[in-house]
Amino acid sequence: MNSETLNTLDNYSKNKYKYGFVTDIDNEKPKKGLNEDTIKFISLKKNEPDWMLEWRLKAFSKWKKMKEPKWANLNFPKIDYQDIYYYSAPKGFEKKPKDLSEVDPKLIETYNKLGIPLEEQKVLAGVAVDVVFDSVSVATTYKGELEKLGIIFCSIGEAIQKHPNLIRKYLGSVIPSGDHSFSALNSAVFTDGSFVYIPEGVNCPMELSTYFRINAENTGQFERTLIIADKGSYVSYLEGCTAPKRDDNQLHAANVELIALDDAEIKYSTVQNWYPGDEDGKGGIYNFVTKRGLCAGKNSKISWTQVETGSAITWKYPSCILKGDNSIGEFYSVAITNNFQQADTGTKMTHIGKNTKSKIISKGISLGKSQNTYRGEVSFLRKADKARNYTQCDSLLVGNKCGAHTVPYIDSKNNTAVIEHEASTSKINEDQLYYCRQRGLSHEEAVSLIVNGFCKQVLQELPMEFAVEAQKLVSISLEGSVG
Amino acid sequence: MNIQDNYLKNKKNIFFSENKDIQTYREKLINIFENDRLDKKNNESLKNINLKNFIDFKYKYLIPEETSVINNNQENSYSIVSVNGQCSSFKDDKIEITTIVDEDYNDFSKNNTIEKNDHFVNLNSLFLNSGFKIVIKKNNNIKIKISNIITDDNLTIFQKNNYICEEGSSLNLIEEYENKNNSSSNILNVIKLQKNSQLNHFLIQDNSPNHNLIITTHSSCKKDSTYTQKVYNFSEGYVRNFHYSELIEANSEADLQGIFFLKDNNTSNNKTFVRHLAEDCKSNQVYKGILNGRSKATYFSNTHVDQVAQKTEGYQLSKGILLSDNASYFSKPELKIYADDVKCSHGSTIGPIDENAIFYLRSRGMSKIAATKILISSFINEELSSIDNEQMSEIIQKKLVRYLSNVK
Repeated sequence: MNSETLNTLDNYSKNKYKYGFVTDIDNEKPKKGLNEDTIKFISLKKNEPDWMLEWRLKAFSKWKKMKEPKWANLNFPKIDYQDIYYYSAPKGFEKKPKDLSEVDPKLIETYNKLGIPLEEQKVLAGVAVDVVFDSVSVATTYKGELEKLGIIFCSIGEAIQKHPNLIRKYLGSVIPSGDHSFSALNSAVFTDGSFVYIPEGVNCPMELSTYFRINAENTGQFERTLIIADKGSYVSYLEGCTAPKRDDNQLHAANVELIALDDAEIKYSTVQNWYPGDEDGKGGIYNFVTKRGLCAGKNSKISWTQVETGSAITWKYPSCILKGDNSIGEFYSVAITNNFQQADTGTKMTHIGKNTKSKIISKGISLGKSQNTYRGEVSFLRKADKARNYTQCDSLLVGNKCGAHTVPYIDSKNNTAVIEHEASTSKINEDQLYYCRQRGLSHEEAVSLIVNGFCKQVLQELPMEFAVEAQKLVSISLEGSVG
Repeated sequence: MNIQDNYLKNKKNIFFSENKDIQTYREKLINIFENDRLDKKNNESLKNINLKNFIDFKYKYLIPEETSVINNNQENSYSIVSVNGQCSSFKDDKIEITTIVDEDYNDFSKNNTIEKNDHFVNLNSLFLNSGFKIVIKKNNNIKIKISNIITDDNLTIFQKNNYICEEGSSLNLIEEYENKNNSSSNILNVIKLQKNSQLNHFLIQDNSPNHNLIITTHSSCKKDSTYTQKVYNFSEGYVRNFHYSELIEANSEADLQGIFFLKDNNTSNNKTFVRHLAEDCKSNQVYKGILNGRSKATYFSNTHVDQVAQKTEGYQLSKGILLSDNASYFSKPELKIYADDVKCSHGSTIGPIDENAIFYLRSRGMSKIAATKILISSFINEELSSIDNEQMSEIIQKKLVRYLSNVK
């Protein structure tokens, strides 16, 4: 590091003390673009120890040599990595709408349909709310209760400060920073995310969610989540939000790592409803997410459930590495694409240990002019004796301008392992539709009912309060596209 | 030796090397190989393959001294012996056999869209040194049996055959590949089915361990035509079966089936690709594999349904049995669908022989080996019993018994 950079860095750090962290943030945005200075800036901003900065820089040097993975069936303009702000959270207050009347009425309409309370609507729409807001106090009470049990639930930034041993041991252990270009990018510039540690033998009494975390609002475009379930523990984690989230950011590259030790179980549920772009396919979020769980211990279990309805581009393969003997991996997914949305999503189940089991249920629904792809890999390595997989992926097409694709990769190297895969593609059954219409449902209601039934197998895997909202969300996603 | 030198040195032995258009096309192909513009990771034609062996080969071709024999023993039945990929000309009022000409070459290479990334088809286009064209005339019902013979060791055959079934004709085609020498064949069959025609295509492959066979078929079906293909691979050497089928007019059908029996260090790569480009078409892709020893197999199946291809029915099935610890099977059944009124599905299973079934048979007093053999036979029974040609069925049964005698 030359003296000039040191000076700059020094100035930044002084600024921080002078003006504080939140209020003057707009002046402290780094320049657009990705280079070592940006990373140093982020690291300094977050007051990170040296080893963390080193780790980031290492990932950055890997990223520079990498190309974006090309396998997906997606079509989008080239991403200009130098035209992005890499540190933009939290957003300046002056940008925010002052009250709900300034928020897009379409958005409010959707909130009302989903039955989201007024106060929550404000948070979601980014309205500046008073500090004494219900859910914040709720969050703190929860936090106290969790602390009693020894559960650590905080932002990843806080964890780097307070629990460096756990971070050093597990961060990047499931998704190595050099895995592919998006994971390297995330490792270099991640700004926020959650950290969860469940101690040995603890059954987390409530569903953890980003929503309950005080700084949930800060969740940036490069989110990093790390969940560790120690021996014999259980945790259910909810990510995202059922309501649509408007965001200026175009590129989202999140990394989520799960680690389950002996007899531990992690259930991870996602409802993703980022801004999908308008009816003409303009705008929308590019969502490049890497999610991977490691069943490190014996009898461990990781279960992914996702409902994907938003984003212009979805590139997401929550996967499980079944390393421990008798471990179980599950993947339940509903992906709905409408208008010009493109989704390439699926899972990867790698069976390493003996008696490992995995189950994949994927439902894809394409409407409008969208493209929906299931891409999944199931592989049995040499030592995966008696491993078992069952895969079912069904696609539903509504309209003749969309596409539904299924691309499974199946690889077996063990002669005691059994794999079963089935897939089907069809349109909505005319007889079912006729039956519903006959009973007095409108065409749209009938389609919505049938689609909900089609997804039921997955939706019932969601935690209760999520499931109700997700069902409504499915109906909303279908609106205006049928008939 | 690199591809370019190989080509230039053997130019005199390669078909159409005087034709300028073809020359330019081939230069393009050479460029792809020379500059290593091959996408090794995502290209299905390169999976499980040591490409170097196939690119750095020693080109050797002999023009056969004896011409092939065409017998017309029974009415409507012909048997052809093709020597080093060549076949002498023949003509009667039902069929016509000629060697291929420039036009046939261009016809395929220029309209070659789906196989563009298939590098073995490209190699074939580059080094083409043999081939013939068979036309079945209107409204005839013909049986043809072709035995492929290679006269010398270390030959590299690059063969391209054209089959044209004219309107209303029906062809029963049996191709035998039983070579015992160390040669390698790269064969491309281009099949055109005119209106209301039918082709039943059987391929029996039983080569010795040192013979490589790379066979690719491209069939296109016009209105009301049906193409049925059945591949039986008993080879001990490397075999590649890639079969592409295009349903270009309404109400046509493609049925691609295959069974492979692998053992020892053998490898087999298989692919079926059906493109639905018109309404009311049906397709079916079924491959079954039995893998023993350290053998490896891949099977890619792909159903592509175009936006206009409403009322499509497309089915895929892939089943594999692994008999040993060291065998491995990779399958990728793919559906790409752009039309909504379709019925498409695929199923894929890989696993060992059902232990409960073995237990059942053993409890009835059968030895473990006998039980295993019975279960393997029943696994493929559906395909074997559907062969309506008695002679064929006998040949295949014999080969199956031979394969099973090695199962322990």
